[in-house]
Amino acid sequence: MTAAVIVDHVSKDFILRHNRAFGIKTRFLSVFHPGKRERRERFQALQDVNFTVEKGEAMGLLGPNGSGKSTLLQIIAGILPPTSGKVIADGRIAPLIQLGVGFNPELTGLENIYLNASLYGFRNNEVKKRLDGIIAFSELETFIDTPLKHYSSGMQMRLGFSVAVHLDPDILLADEILAVGDQYFQDKCYDKIAELRRNGMTLILVSHSSSQVEKFCDQFVQIEHGRVAEIGRYGQNLEEIARRQAI
Amino acid sequence: MVRSFGKYWRYRDLVRNLVTANLKVRYQGAALGFLWSLGNPLAMILLYYFVFTHVFRSDLPNYILYLIIGVLHYNLFAQTVSQSCDSLTGAAGLLQKIYFPRILIPTASVLFNLVLWVVAILILVVLYPFLGGVYHWGLALYPLALLLYIAFIWGIALTFSVLNVEFRDLKHLVDIAIMALFWFTPIGYSLSTLKPETRSIIRLNPLTVYMEMFHALLYQGTLPEGHTVLIAILWTAGSLTLGMTLFWRKAALLVENL
Repeated sequence: MTAAVIVDHVSKDFILRHNRAFGIKTRFLSVFHPGKRERRERFQALQDVNFTVEKGEAMGLLGPNGSGKSTLLQIIAGILPPTSGKVIADGRIAPLIQLGVGFNPELTGLENIYLNASLYGFRNNEVKKRLDGIIAFSELETFIDTPLKHYSSGMQMRLGFSVAVHLDPDILLADEILAVGDQYFQDKCYDKIAELRRNGMTLILVSHSSSQVEKFCDQFVQIEHGRVAEIGRYGQNLEEIARRQAI
Repeated sequence: MVRSFGKYWRYRDLVRNLVTANLKVRYQGAALGFLWSLGNPLAMILLYYFVFTHVFRSDLPNYILYLIIGVLHYNLFAQTVSQSCDSLTGAAGLLQKIYFPRILIPTASVLFNLVLWVVAILILVVLYPFLGGVYHWGLALYPLALLLYIAFIWGIALTFSVLNVEFRDLKHLVDIAIMALFWFTPIGYSLSTLKPETRSIIRLNPLTVYMEMFHALLYQGTLPEGHTVLIAILWTAGSLTLGMTLFWRKAALLVENL
């Protein structure tokens, strides 16, 4: 097996800017008001994180709120640069940090499909080939020419999810949003993820629910205070593997 | 170099989709939507025409043609640069959720303004022969001069879009500067009518050289002077270097400061 994602000694520092001066005016005023001056403080969000996700594997990132798991996901997605260390990803990454990124309420569902997919680096003609699949999966055929502002939030999520999973990502990064909509659509989402995984997609799932991670993932990384607290693997016995593959 | 260009090229439909989305949103519901972008420059030209022919007298022949050329080209700069300030800060929601080459956001904003401007330039194309415009071979060089100008504007737009992340009230200052710059650019008057000292001040304004090129090609029907073109090329190179360097150095940490 070859690695899909290698997280190699990744550390991330944030500069916390208390009383951040947002403009030229506030910067000028702080010359006269020392109390309102910006104070900077270093905050280490991640410290020397190491792990590897093999191709086709599913890895869960577990940890309490504020432990740094979402920051790590943003670094793997290339949104934030690590302060030190590096992430090597082999394949096309689809970050599902939020569904329907770039959706514009004034545009129709169809126009938003193209806009959203192009943010993932897709050409319009590639999207055109997948269009029928995307619309059919979202079950929004009758509304696809309606502006998005008339959609319910559930309908918008369905469209966003449908676009993301139809772009054939090699690596899917998800931030606790593997299933959206009502029970029926959630089941459909789970089935789709399982199908993509059978076709060899790598999954990295961020969650604070270990039961959700156990349901989807082969292994997990527990992150606490920006450090890897534990790395483990689920389903050592064959019976459990068989159970999970049936999902 | 080639590889990094390939990376941006892959995203060309993103730029296209962003521009068309902006156009659709702006002109939604207006049946003759695009015509609205003619209204503003047309009103501006009539206003300046009144001021410069009846209030301050101008002796330039075919004065309205001179004026239209200046106002239209100045508008492209003014609108693009003003809007570039919040192009990155306004797209914070996108930038924090997904990776794509960040430079495409201010670039899409420049192209959006360019598309609107092309509609406005139709005024000039239609009225050109009636206002005393001459058709000559030098007009073939106009696209090159325009390209030089657009590249200059692009560099400025990149610079301000990055600076605005750190200085959120930059737009107020930029809008004032743009207003002032109008009077420091030979749009309603000609450089030749100025006192030598005033002229040397006006020449410090980068927009002056571009205006001189456009006036030479479109108004006088001659080729711009060699040194004017050279200075324009230098300004464009300077603006692009500044914008690109700033973007290159700040792009990675941009998201954290949004």
